Amino acid sequence: MNETQRVARRMPVFFLAIISVLLVLSFISLFQAVETYRRTGSPDFLTVIMSLSAITLSSYMLLQMRRKPLKLGFEMPKVFTMVQCSSCDFRNVREFQKGDYILKAMEPCPKCSSASFISSIYREAEEKEE
Amino acid sequence: MLREIEGSLFKLKLMRDQGRSIAISAINEMGKPSGDLATRVDRLLEHIDIGPVDLDPSGIIRRLEHIIDIRDFRFKDEVRLMVPEADETHVNNVANMLDAALFLNQVYKFVRHFYLTGKKTSSFYVILQLQMILPQVVKEAEAFARALRSFTLGQPMGDGIGALVAARLMYGKEEREIAKDVVVSEVPVEGRTAYVLKAKGPGANVGKPGEAVKQVLEEKEGKIERIIVIDAAQKLEGEKPGEVVEGIGVAIGGPGVEKFKVEEIATKYKVPINAILIKESIGDVVSTMRKEIVNSVDDVIERIKRIVRETTKEGDLIIVAGIGNTMGIAQ
Repeated sequence: MNETQRVARRMPVFFLAIISVLLVLSFISLFQAVETYRRTGSPDFLTVIMSLSAITLSSYMLLQMRRKPLKLGFEMPKVFTMVQCSSCDFRNVREFQKGDYILKAMEPCPKCSSASFISSIYREAEEKEE
Repeated sequence: MLREIEGSLFKLKLMRDQGRSIAISAINEMGKPSGDLATRVDRLLEHIDIGPVDLDPSGIIRRLEHIIDIRDFRFKDEVRLMVPEADETHVNNVANMLDAALFLNQVYKFVRHFYLTGKKTSSFYVILQLQMILPQVVKEAEAFARALRSFTLGQPMGDGIGALVAARLMYGKEEREIAKDVVVSEVPVEGRTAYVLKAKGPGANVGKPGEAVKQVLEEKEGKIERIIVIDAAQKLEGEKPGEVVEGIGVAIGGPGVEKFKVEEIATKYKVPINAILIKESIGDVVSTMRKEIVNSVDDVIERIKRIVRETTKEGDLIIVAGIGNTMGIAQ
């Protein structure tokens, strides 16, 4: 993960504090319900259900608050370079390397030894892109 | 609503800062920069262009061109001063990269201005308007952030599709520089001679295609049967990227100087102009070229041949102008 993404991960502190308090209170309430059952022998279903619901809800909210890192647009897409022979049908696609440019002369074709060149450089679009 | 704007403003600020640091590290990688690099970059990021006065529109295009030229020289000179050993390709790429970083800085400052104005004056309408345009603004800023990355690596961008088509036609032919940063080759197309033009690559460059078309027409004393202009065009939502459409007129974007020149010279010699457009979104225009857009090249070349066959006779002279930023595309 790069530095931008780390910086971009911003947690709303106020909401985090509220949810943490809610979570702690729910556990205390659940603990008390269990203690009461041990002492008296009669279960307090209402308190148990409410405590468990509060724990589930606050855990869910905590998970939701774990924001995905902001995408700023600086992320590197996968870029490919296509090398093509100028006389036969040989084509080779590899990952882009710094210094590549279209119509750059490359090593002779491995199939027919004619001159080969970079015919295109392109990126594959992300799935959500139109 | 304020929270939403604050979120976007935070994102724009991160983009601005990240853009600045990418620009600085890219210049550092190029060699030993002279002087205080961060101060120089910061000064460029605050650069302001003042357009010509339009109260008297006479001669405004000439004046606008002069200002654009000065700006171009200034950016390139600044890069040369920062990294004296950089070659022309790198100078062009870095100058364009700084342009993208400058855009990110200006967008952030404009959004912050309206946000603070809205808050200060407690104006719901200022905030509402800002909130309405923010998604589009953020989208454009993201596109320029992607462009910044492409400039650091010298990868061809969507805008260069016109230049790519011209490069494919020119492959293996002799070329010469006909106007500032524009090269031309004589290419046989369906028994006609095509003067194929593109900006000089592989550095980031758009050149002066209008000037180049004018030069060819003047050299041939107007004996050109047709001008075909190829460029990227803004796609509408729902249209596919890389879709090819045809039209008439001069398909050259930007401030209008080059478009004006072609229109003027074509009108003088009564030369018909065809346009072939490749549809792209704003994000695709300034980021590394998508596969769908690269795949449209063969279709564009077929259309050029068809137009040439249908509208000219064998032995005629035509101009094919591939418009756009030629970064990562040689000739």
